Parts: sequence; structure tokens; C-alpha cells
Amino acid sequence: MIRDTTGPEARLIRVTGLSKTYRVPVTKPGLRGSIASFFAREVREVHAVRDLSFRIEPGERVGFLGPNGAGKTTTLKMLSGLLYPSGGEVRVGGFVPQERDPAFLQLVTLVMGQKQQLLWDLPARETFELNRAMYGVDRKEFTETLDELIALLRAEPLLEKPVRNLSLGERMKCELIAALVHRPMILFLDEPTIGLDVEMQVQVRQFIAEHNRRTGATVLLTSHYMQDIAALTPRLLIIDEGQLRYDGALDELTRTVAPERRIVVHQVLPELAALGFAVTEGRMVATVPASEVNALLQRVFAVAPLVELGVEVPPLDEVIGRVFRGASPTETP
Amino acid sequence: MSRVLGAGPIARLRHVIVAWPSILRVAFAGMVAYRAEMIIWVLSATLPLVMLSLWNAAAGGGAIDGWDQTAFTRYFAVNLVVRQLTGSWVVWELNWSIRKGDLSPKLLRPMNPLVFNLAETFAALPFRVVVLLPLVGVLAMWRPEALFLPSPAAAAGFVASSLFAFCLAWLVQALFGMIAFWTEQSMGFWSAWFAVWALFAGYFVPLALFPPSLVALAQVLPFYSTLGAPVDVLLGHAPVASTLAIQAGWLAALGLLTALVWRSGIRRYGAVGA
Repeated sequence: MIRDTTGPEARLIRVTGLSKTYRVPVTKPGLRGSIASFFAREVREVHAVRDLSFRIEPGERVGFLGPNGAGKTTTLKMLSGLLYPSGGEVRVGGFVPQERDPAFLQLVTLVMGQKQQLLWDLPARETFELNRAMYGVDRKEFTETLDELIALLRAEPLLEKPVRNLSLGERMKCELIAALVHRPMILFLDEPTIGLDVEMQVQVRQFIAEHNRRTGATVLLTSHYMQDIAALTPRLLIIDEGQLRYDGALDELTRTVAPERRIVVHQVLPELAALGFAVTEGRMVATVPASEVNALLQRVFAVAPLVELGVEVPPLDEVIGRVFRGASPTETP
Repeated sequence: MSRVLGAGPIARLRHVIVAWPSILRVAFAGMVAYRAEMIIWVLSATLPLVMLSLWNAAAGGGAIDGWDQTAFTRYFAVNLVVRQLTGSWVVWELNWSIRKGDLSPKLLRPMNPLVFNLAETFAALPFRVVVLLPLVGVLAMWRPEALFLPSPAAAAGFVASSLFAFCLAWLVQALFGMIAFWTEQSMGFWSAWFAVWALFAGYFVPLALFPPSLVALAQVLPFYSTLGAPVDVLLGHAPVASTLAIQAGWLAALGLLTALVWRSGIRRYGAVGA
């Protein structure tokens, strides 16, 4: 069958009722436990992903969030063909990932912040060359892509050093280049900024956004850094205990899960106590529903016309934390 | 991307052939980076020299079953050459990358990761030759009477048989490495295999010194095909045609088995958590 590996279908992700159950051996502690498990191995079923359904349109950037063990990495591995689903249906770029068709593997990439593909004792250039050969990229296109990636990531000085001599951030830059030399149309990024310093996080974030803008590649990203999510992914998928808890816009999530606003007055004015303000660390703070902000501000200015104040939205990690703790966001299809 | 890769066996093979020079070059760069460690590893596989010294001493008082010191020197010198040229580390590499999950990034590439392991095995050959040449030179000086000129038929048979042995030894190691898909630790199985192999492959004792009934059995077992067969073909201790036929049979069987086990292993790896 001839497939279109350049059109919109090649960048589309469809997941229906996806689930993954692991059978994990259980060994009780101590010598007795070890002996018992040697003769009769006890196995426990872990439902890592349960009935997950979503669709990601071509060129979208989507954040995939959840607490540790929520099933994010398991899902990404199923989408990239490394893991066999226990149930449900997945189509990535029109392919069934676990069939591992070479044309599918040319279409996708998975960057794992905690696993590396770079050859440890060789300069990163050697891994790029290995990938060029294995992905069947012709030399001219490879050189063009590599030059572009190196410039975007400012990675030129890193390429001749053995990978083992690179810092964590420098290695991640090279990992990203290695993962992109074949120009994949779908990028799965699993914690690409983990362990990086702030400056390097910013560079990686800018790179991902720029790459998406230039190539139109679809991006599904997991991260524990909310700055990554705020800067990169207008849409969020939130999972917990293997189940989808939220699928929708980042703004919408904030509106529904954290509809309140904090009005912070940068001085202590006792007369504001009557309007519901409380003193906190030398400031006065009131928390009200977003719809009541204007009315309260008018009353504040009536009492203290020259007061200096600010209106704050709850921080994103607090909003996400509330979803993890059981707040009910409005789910979109 | 430059060209869309096909999924059929012919398309995959064509892709490997096109990519092979680049893969081999990168694998060689890796071997150069590990050169000191490599040479030590290569030297560790020089047990035939130890066996030669033992059998040389044993034959000091007279030939054993017609094998004098010169015959033992020839046998273990050729044994050393074949052992070195058919050696690989794929069992350790596979076992490690499956257990540690390092196989995952390799599986994302549209080419079987074993191709790179094979390239690494080829890339190590020049290093093995560098170690072999002085060792064989010293043996030649120690016992010049052991030098011999094989017949063209024996030499050609030796080349073919060594090629078969190379492929078989590699496939056996790959198969044992793949046990880690199920047990998460395959080195115990490999050690058990090695003990039996060393006996029946002719690594410790020439098969010709076995009781005749055992020789007939050992010659058709897979162990012998990976080492003793090319040695005996070159020295005229084994018939060329039937030895090559047995090796070809094992190659077909183990090639098929490796493909099946790999497919099943990848499925298992994907089921339990890559």
C-alpha cells in the first residue's frame, strides 16, 4: 500500500480506548520472600493506561501532563511503537505504531530526557551520521538539515567532543539534533528539559517552538516544568492513574479549575479589611471569582484611590496540582 | 526525508546494503575509541595458547593417538586464528541493552539494531588481526616445523568454513543475548553454553582425540561448526564438502531461529515495558 508521508494525515494522531496493563512480579522482603517467589512467583497487574482517547491535529503542539506514574511515558512509547497496547486502537501518521513499519519510524521521533541514543564515546557527529544512514537520508538533505539544526541550537562547538565530555544540557541539544536529522513530522518529547539549567531550558523551548513553526510538525510534549507547557503547548492533555482527566485549551483549564483571582494591594490599609482583604507578608490580599474582580476594584479605589495593586491568576503548577488532587475541569471532546 | 523505506524483506536488505559502508565506518570509529580495552578483550580469548602449552607438554613423551607436538602446534595455532576471527561481543551488548532499556532508542530507527552489532563485529576484525599477527609469528619461530602449505582445496574450504563459522558464532551469541527479553539476564545461560561448547567445538581438545562414536556425534552438533570445523578442514582432518554442508544446514536453521526469536523478543519487550 502506498501511503502519503508528507500530507496532513502524516502528522495526525488518533487514539481510541487505548490501554496498557503490565504484569509486575511481586517479591516480599527478606529471605523467606525471596525463596517463596523463587517457587511461586506472585504477579500483580498494573493498569498503566486505561481507556485513553484523544486526537491531535496536524501541526498541533500539545502538552501531556500528569503526576509521576500517571502513564505519560507509557503512552508516548505506545504512540512511537516501542510498546504494544493491551487494548484500544492507535493511528499515528496513518500507521499502526506497533507494526513498526520503516516508513512509520521515518515519520516519528521520540526524545527521552532520561535515555540517550548518542554513542557515548564518540563525538555526536558520528551518531548523526549513523542516523543519516539508518534513516536513508540523502547526503545533501542531511547537510542542510544538520546546518539548520546546529544553527538553531547554537551547537557548533559541541559536535567534535566525545559525548561523554558534554554537559547534560549540551547532550540534550545533540539528542535533539540526532532525533531530528531525518525530519520527522511527529515529535514525541518526553521531559526534554529535565535537569537543564534555566538558560538551557529557554533555548530548548525556543528551538521546539521554532522547529514546529518552520516544519509544521506535530508535537506531543511531557514535562514537569510548567514554563515548558505555558510557553509551548496551547492545548493540554492531563492524565492521572492512566485515565484522561482533561483535554482542552490551557486558558480554558485555568478558567474552569481556578476561576478565582487574587487582588494584591502592595501596602497594608486597615480599611480594606472590610472588603475582604487579609494581611499577608506586608501586603493585603483578597481572593474573589473572576467575575467579581471589577466590582471589587471599584470599591477598593473608592476607599483608596491612589493605591498600588495587582490582579493575579493562580500559577499554572497550582492549577495543574488542583486537577491532580481531584478538581473537576470542564472536559472537551 | 530522502526516500520512504519499504517494509518488505528485499527493501530492508537493500536499505542495509546501501547504508552498510556508513554504519561500518561509525562502528570502526567506536572500536578505535575503545582500542585499549578492545586489545585486552582480544587477548583474553587466547585460551588456545594455554591449551597448546598443556598438550605440548603431554605430547613431550611421545605422540598421543598419532598427534605429536607439531600436530598440536598446528591445530591450536589455526584454532587461535579461527577463534579470533569469529569472535564477537554481541551476547554482552544485547544482554546489557535489553536489561538497561538502552535498546529502546535503537528500536526507534528504521533498521534492525542487530545490523549495528554486526558492523561492530566486523569493525573489530582489524584489531584482532593486529593481535594475531605477532602471536602467530612467535609460534612460527618457536616451532618452524609446524609451518605448512595447505592444498588449494583445503585453503578454499577453510575460507568458506571460516565464513560459516563467523556467521554461526555470531548468531549463537545473538540468540543467547536475546534470552534477556524473557529472563532479563542471559549471561548465566551463555556461561552454561560456553562450557559445553568449549568441549565439543574442539576448543580444549581436538575432536580427533575423542572416541570415534563421539566424534561422529560432535561433528553434527552446532558447537563444532562454529570453531573446530574450519580448523579441521584446513588441516585435512575433516572432509570439506560434508563439513560445509553441515555448517550450511546449521546456518539456515539458526538464521531462521534468530529471526523468529528476535520478532518474538521484540513483542515481549514491547509487552513488558520497553
